[in-house]
Amino acid sequence: MTTKNQQEIQIPECGYTLNTIYFYLTEGCNLKCRHCWIAPKFQSEDAEWPSLDFELFKDIVRQGKALGMRSVKLTGGEPLIHPDIDKILDYICEQDLQVTVETNGLKCTPEIAEKIAKGKNPFVSISLDGSEAAEHEWVRGVEGCFEAALEGVRNLVKVGIRPQLIMSVMKRNAHQLESIVRLAEKENVESVKYNLVTPTARGEQMHEQGETLSIEELVKLGEWVENTLQPSTKIRLQYSHPNAFKPLSKMFSRPQGKCGIFGIIGVLGSGKYALCGIGETVQKLVFGHAGTDKLADIWNNNKILHDIREGLPKKLNGICGDCLLKEECLGSCIAMNYYTHHDLFAPYWYCAEAAKAGIFPKTRIRPGSQYEKVI
Amino acid sequence: MSAVSRFPVANPMVIFREELDEWAVLFDPDANETFALDPTSVFIWKLLDGKHCKEDILTKLNEACNDTPEDAPQHLDEFLEELAGKSLIGVEK
Ligand code: SF4
Repeated sequence: MTTKNQQEIQIPECGYTLNTIYFYLTEGCNLKCRHCWIAPKFQSEDAEWPSLDFELFKDIVRQGKALGMRSVKLTGGEPLIHPDIDKILDYICEQDLQVTVETNGLKCTPEIAEKIAKGKNPFVSISLDGSEAAEHEWVRGVEGCFEAALEGVRNLVKVGIRPQLIMSVMKRNAHQLESIVRLAEKENVESVKYNLVTPTARGEQMHEQGETLSIEELVKLGEWVENTLQPSTKIRLQYSHPNAFKPLSKMFSRPQGKCGIFGIIGVLGSGKYALCGIGETVQKLVFGHAGTDKLADIWNNNKILHDIREGLPKKLNGICGDCLLKEECLGSCIAMNYYTHHDLFAPYWYCAEAAKAGIFPKTRIRPGSQYEKVI
Repeated sequence: MSAVSRFPVANPMVIFREELDEWAVLFDPDANETFALDPTSVFIWKLLDGKHCKEDILTKLNEACNDTPEDAPQHLDEFLEELAGKSLIGVEK
């Protein structure tokens, strides 16, 4: 049974519109980032890895549109090394879909930038892990990739797209949080987002090897970014700590990036459907294959998707279960929580560590919670 | 529409926690719901003690801010209605 909304988009049987598909277009990547949570294989002239078949991509898009999809995210691996990236961008434009591209920028040529710019409200983020080549290339593992990424930024700006820079914060580059803002101002980008290295895949090794910042350092840096660095620039800064650590004024005065987990599905380079890119490392979060399974069947009937819709946020446990902002936050990242604890409703690592260290903001804990006592 | 009391009073069960940026968290344990209050709403919330009527609240607001907007009375009505609708303040039966 289906119902119709005002725009005559059919609401799927499960009651949830599929808003976006995250396409992890390639199994390979042309960089070797030491913190990557997906850990793709290194692609070079000597080694090429599979990527999503273009015909299959079109078929998935058609099926996604029937479930209400209005936007796509192209990510990876590295989306711009896909052999049919030109055709993929043209097709997205033809289908009038909003497009987000997450790239390392190396293959963001003037031609590709032009094509992205033709799309509907394009949003592009480029990874830059420092304001200098030494830091960025230490993280990314390939010489020359700093200048190449900056060239990608400039190609986008020339065609009218002001990209977002994404910096993954770790011990090695933590002293460059400010200088990257100055670089961003000079290059006329739209925003800088600071991602925290998560204990997933290669990021897990960095945590184990002590190359990441402690929870105390991360919380302090977050406060400094929000209260000191942000007022020093017109560029929008986004520090990716969970809601419990954001000032209310920031959360409610401007729209925040929120994981739209109820309206997203991932497609891996192999053509498999998954919760998101986590499907590359966690088999249980793979839902089927686009070559054999219908997207509508998965979207309406998959047990894990059903459990997430039923359980979030009320089944969240640990500190997330006792957090006053869980309705807004939804446990921050279910994929990561599952990776760590094999439980969809397990607490997010950042808040769990903060609670353990006694630095979780006490105004945001449910009265009577056991975590109140830790503080 | 809820009938807001002449002297509105905050639901005593609701937890009110002020934060450093002068915003505050309101938590209703019955409904298990959280709300965020901006600094003006915090100012008003503190006057919802059953001793201040709407006119008193408006006078205090005028004293505290130099540039209270002309439509402040209407905003105050809407805010109190919203709070009453969510059982965060008492209503007249
Ligand atoms: S405790 Fe959980 S729900 Fe609350 S902000 Fe942290 S991740 Fe989000």
